[in-house]
Amino acid sequence: MIKDLTIGQYYPVNSLIHSLDPRFKIVLLVVLLVFTFIADNFFALGLMVAFVLVVMVISKVPFSMYLKNLKIILPILIFTMLLNLFYVADGVVLYEFWVIKITVGGISRSVFMSLRVILLIIISATLTYTTTPNDLTTAIERLCSPLRFIGLGSAVHTMSMMMTIALRFIPTLVEETEKIINAQKARGADFESGKLMQRVKAIIPILIPLLISSVRRAYDLAEAMESRCYNGGKNKTMMKQLKIKNGDIISTIVVIIFCCSIITLNIFF
Amino acid sequence: MSFLRVENLTHIYNQKTTYSRDAVSNVSFTAEKGEIIGVIGHTGSGKSTLIQHLNGLLKPDEGHIYIDGTDIWADPKKIKNFRFKVGLVFQYPEYQLFDETVYDDIAFGPKNMGMSSEEIEKTVNEIILEVGLSKDYLEKSPFDLSGGEKRRVAIAGVLAMKPEIIAFDEPTAGLDPSGRQMVTDIIRNYRDKYNATVIIVSHSMEDIAALADKILVMNKGKLQMYGTPKEVFSKGLELKEIDLSVPQVTTVFDILRKKGFNLPDNVITVDEAVKLLVNLKQEGCTND
Repeated sequence: MIKDLTIGQYYPVNSLIHSLDPRFKIVLLVVLLVFTFIADNFFALGLMVAFVLVVMVISKVPFSMYLKNLKIILPILIFTMLLNLFYVADGVVLYEFWVIKITVGGISRSVFMSLRVILLIIISATLTYTTTPNDLTTAIERLCSPLRFIGLGSAVHTMSMMMTIALRFIPTLVEETEKIINAQKARGADFESGKLMQRVKAIIPILIPLLISSVRRAYDLAEAMESRCYNGGKNKTMMKQLKIKNGDIISTIVVIIFCCSIITLNIFF
Repeated sequence: MSFLRVENLTHIYNQKTTYSRDAVSNVSFTAEKGEIIGVIGHTGSGKSTLIQHLNGLLKPDEGHIYIDGTDIWADPKKIKNFRFKVGLVFQYPEYQLFDETVYDDIAFGPKNMGMSSEEIEKTVNEIILEVGLSKDYLEKSPFDLSGGEKRRVAIAGVLAMKPEIIAFDEPTAGLDPSGRQMVTDIIRNYRDKYNATVIIVSHSMEDIAALADKILVMNKGKLQMYGTPKEVFSKGLELKEIDLSVPQVTTVFDILRKKGFNLPDNVITVDEAVKLLVNLKQEGCTND
């Protein structure tokens, strides 16, 4: 069913990570992403893995959810591994055949690179699993607010309003699509069998009503916003004020200490 | 044996997840040919989920649905046959119109059934009159029609398949009084003409009282009551407990009875009420 489709894939539980200020969460996780690349030996990367594991546990999001994410990028992961395995040629040669040469250096490089990719995915998944889409857009708008000093204030607001509206209407559209599919199915429409052309044609009875109702809904929404005197971001205050709490400061300190350790490990090994 | 038999129907949404909830639990009822069944219940009581089971759009997690003695899920590959046997008119069906002309839109169902083009033409020409529109409408674009006309075209699209059982989800929602009357007439005429079993989900107690032979009351996914309109609407207190009401005339009569008038407690339509009140007035006159 379409309903199983997760977009934004927020996982609703109460955890320390969930309760962090979304602005801090975005910045801290971006810092972690950057440090995944800065860590350039196995000791530093090992610390990185340990840290991310701790974050995963604290987030209370089941490991199976993270695995689901990894499954999607499995082809990319395999590709990275193979590329590094064959491309890097230093250290002891373990196996040689025609142009293929497998070396110790190649193996360690490919393990290293795939660990990096896995970490990247898990870190970004942590953000989406622990932050509602609305919090995300609010945080992005706030983070971009310095742009108003160069005259881009309203552009930032417009972008974030568009994102909020788009996110808000995804579930509505999914529901609507499902309803239309069901209604056409009830009239005997068949979406599951037939040749490619027939299947493409079968989509028309869904697409047209969906398009029409989306346009209608957009007009309605614009009118509703206008009749509430909406005029863009000027002097607008937030209904949901973001406040910095102790947890945000503590986690920032933890991340800073962690980053210093990574740099230290990089230098000493 | 009843024509439509629903046995211990249970449907659970989002099974095995944190969002899991019983949408319909252990519902059993039967309906005969030519009967109109009204389904009432508070929002989220499982009415819409229930009717989507009848033509196999949803598969029951437990229980069975028998139509004319056959379990519709006996052979899952043949479920499509039941889509044609059981018509389903969704809420606001006008939003599902898609084709260039009214004719093509009404013909969509029959085409999927595999009817020949002569048959389709005959059916469409017949059905458009049954929903109270003239043949001139067939060449128009469905998007140029008024709201009420669109609704009737959409209903025609389902009626054109000549289903033996037809379920309507809120068929009169959002229509003006004359539009409501028009739709209830269409439903009644279809039943009379084809002796079909009709199931109507509605929030309008007036519509239900006027149309239904039997009423099915749903509460939190369970079947609360199943009986004739008079039986069900005489239990006003019980209905109030589950946030449902009785038709307005029934309420008016309750108040009159409390004021000491000798009136029955099972009046559900305005026509009945008028007769009784006229009688009462005449009696009053003769007493003077």
